[in-house]
Amino acid sequence: MSQYASLLIALPLFGAFFIPILKRISKSAVMPFLVLVTLIQTGIAAWVFNEVYITGKPIIIMAGGFRPPIGINLYIGHFAALFVLVIAVTSLLMTIFSFKAVSVEPKDKYAMLFLLLMLGATGMISTGDIFNLFVFMEITAISAYALIAYNKTGEASEAALKYIVLGGIGSSFFLVGVALIYGSLGTLNMAHIAQLAHLVNPTVAKAGLALLIFGLAVEAEQFPLNAWAPDAYQEAPHPVTAMFSAFVVKASLYAMGRVIYILSAVEGWSSILRLLIILGTLTVIIGEMSALRQNNVKRMFAYSSIAQVGLIAVGLALGTESGVSASVFHMFNHAIVKALMFLAVGYVAVELGGTEINKFEGLGKRMPVTAFAITVGAISIIGIPLFNIFWSKMQLILAALNAQYTWMVALILGASLVEATYYIRLIHTIWFKGEGEKVKESSVLALVMLLLVALIIVIGIYPEPFWNVMQKAGSDIFNVAQYIKNVPLMGVSP
Amino acid sequence: MNPYYFASIALILIGLYAILAKRNVLKMLVGLSIMETGVNLLLISVGYVSGRSAPILSEGITPDRAVDPIPQALVLTAIVIGVATTAMALSVVINLYEKYKTLNVEEIRRLRG
Repeated sequence: MSQYASLLIALPLFGAFFIPILKRISKSAVMPFLVLVTLIQTGIAAWVFNEVYITGKPIIIMAGGFRPPIGINLYIGHFAALFVLVIAVTSLLMTIFSFKAVSVEPKDKYAMLFLLLMLGATGMISTGDIFNLFVFMEITAISAYALIAYNKTGEASEAALKYIVLGGIGSSFFLVGVALIYGSLGTLNMAHIAQLAHLVNPTVAKAGLALLIFGLAVEAEQFPLNAWAPDAYQEAPHPVTAMFSAFVVKASLYAMGRVIYILSAVEGWSSILRLLIILGTLTVIIGEMSALRQNNVKRMFAYSSIAQVGLIAVGLALGTESGVSASVFHMFNHAIVKALMFLAVGYVAVELGGTEINKFEGLGKRMPVTAFAITVGAISIIGIPLFNIFWSKMQLILAALNAQYTWMVALILGASLVEATYYIRLIHTIWFKGEGEKVKESSVLALVMLLLVALIIVIGIYPEPFWNVMQKAGSDIFNVAQYIKNVPLMGVSP
Repeated sequence: MNPYYFASIALILIGLYAILAKRNVLKMLVGLSIMETGVNLLLISVGYVSGRSAPILSEGITPDRAVDPIPQALVLTAIVIGVATTAMALSVVINLYEKYKTLNVEEIRRLRG
């Protein structure tokens, strides 16, 4: 029965390659078909989530029936089940938004790439093989390159080219890391690597791990390799921007956490954690400082997103279970909030023709629901109590204190202060400046926005059940011994 | 120590140099391809055993007389991905040249800040 979970990969793939045939039959059926596929995907993801959390056991899918490490396996544990659901729901909402936001032809190509992006992120989260992770990462990256350049303007091509060059360097680094680990252990299966990790030469393992982290850092938008992100966020079609911020980055961060923790038995492993802490801290500082001086709201949100991603990376690198759980909670909250905010900003750009800050003057009178959504999202990101991000920032601070990183409290609070500066400036512009006649807002999009706002407030008021789920997901990444036990490795022992 | 390792690391560094130092977009993409070739050579040489033949099941070739087949499968996949990336990059460059009328990266700088 649980083998049906492989439809999570198969459905978007077949859907994507069915679209060219569908286009021959009827061109106007392409976008409704996209809604149908993402809706079914959401249904399957909800079923998988339910199954994994009720039985408490991960779903293992063995490709072709070969047991790992001979065959490739998918591992849908507590983390993957949660985030597959996040990916599917976000994709569904963004498909609805695409009807309004995407007007450039050819829409059938857009629908194909959209499904492939969703597939790539789903695969990165659910795979149990380090080379398969590379393949899914490249599927995500190549469809992302194409989607960024989709608007066919010069700026969009420029942003895509930056991403292609950095992404190419990153994937080469990643492959060198894979070569080092394969060369020293002779296996590519993650559980098998974790089982053999104490045997490997520590220098080789650390070099390989550092290369894997640098390779993933391009997609995960960590500091030296994130120059592409603001440009790409600004120029990509609006639904795609929301998808990047909501789950493409999160998939890479998860992959980073996974490859770090499966090698935790390596001697001197904590030096790698320190490397990631430095990268994450620099990402936070540079992201917040750059966000402060932006005049384009979409670009400002992009920098804010980069800063939050830095906080998540720092939490992953604390090396404690509570740190990883707090990171997962922050990933989840940030996915909801940024999906909402990029949706709202994209909708403003569609209706008013741009995302420069002067377009937002008087937005509170012109598009009240959208303005309300942006306000709630902004207040939540700053970390005001009764909104969801307050609780994840709180957990991050507690985890940092428990791990003896007192200065990290200053980092998180300082970041919140800078966020407060630029978000309150934006809120002020929206509600207290300028006038304008009312624009009729689409009721479907208003409903989607209010749904996300309600979710933000519900998590803000009742964080307990969500935090319990996040703790299970965090321990899925952190607890490597359990991970090894869960994967039915063929009778090989060190 | 295997001489192929040095050759592949040299190729990776040459590619990285071309990406970082060249100003022409097409030369940067050539650098990217050289880097990918270096990585592929590295992967192949990880599985190479001196004196053995290709891992194709045929007469006289038993598993103990062939090299490790897994890196070869990996490289086959990596080559396909590299081709897709290069094709994607070149089509972006075509659009870029139509809009900017130049291939110099220092002049392709409308997005900043």
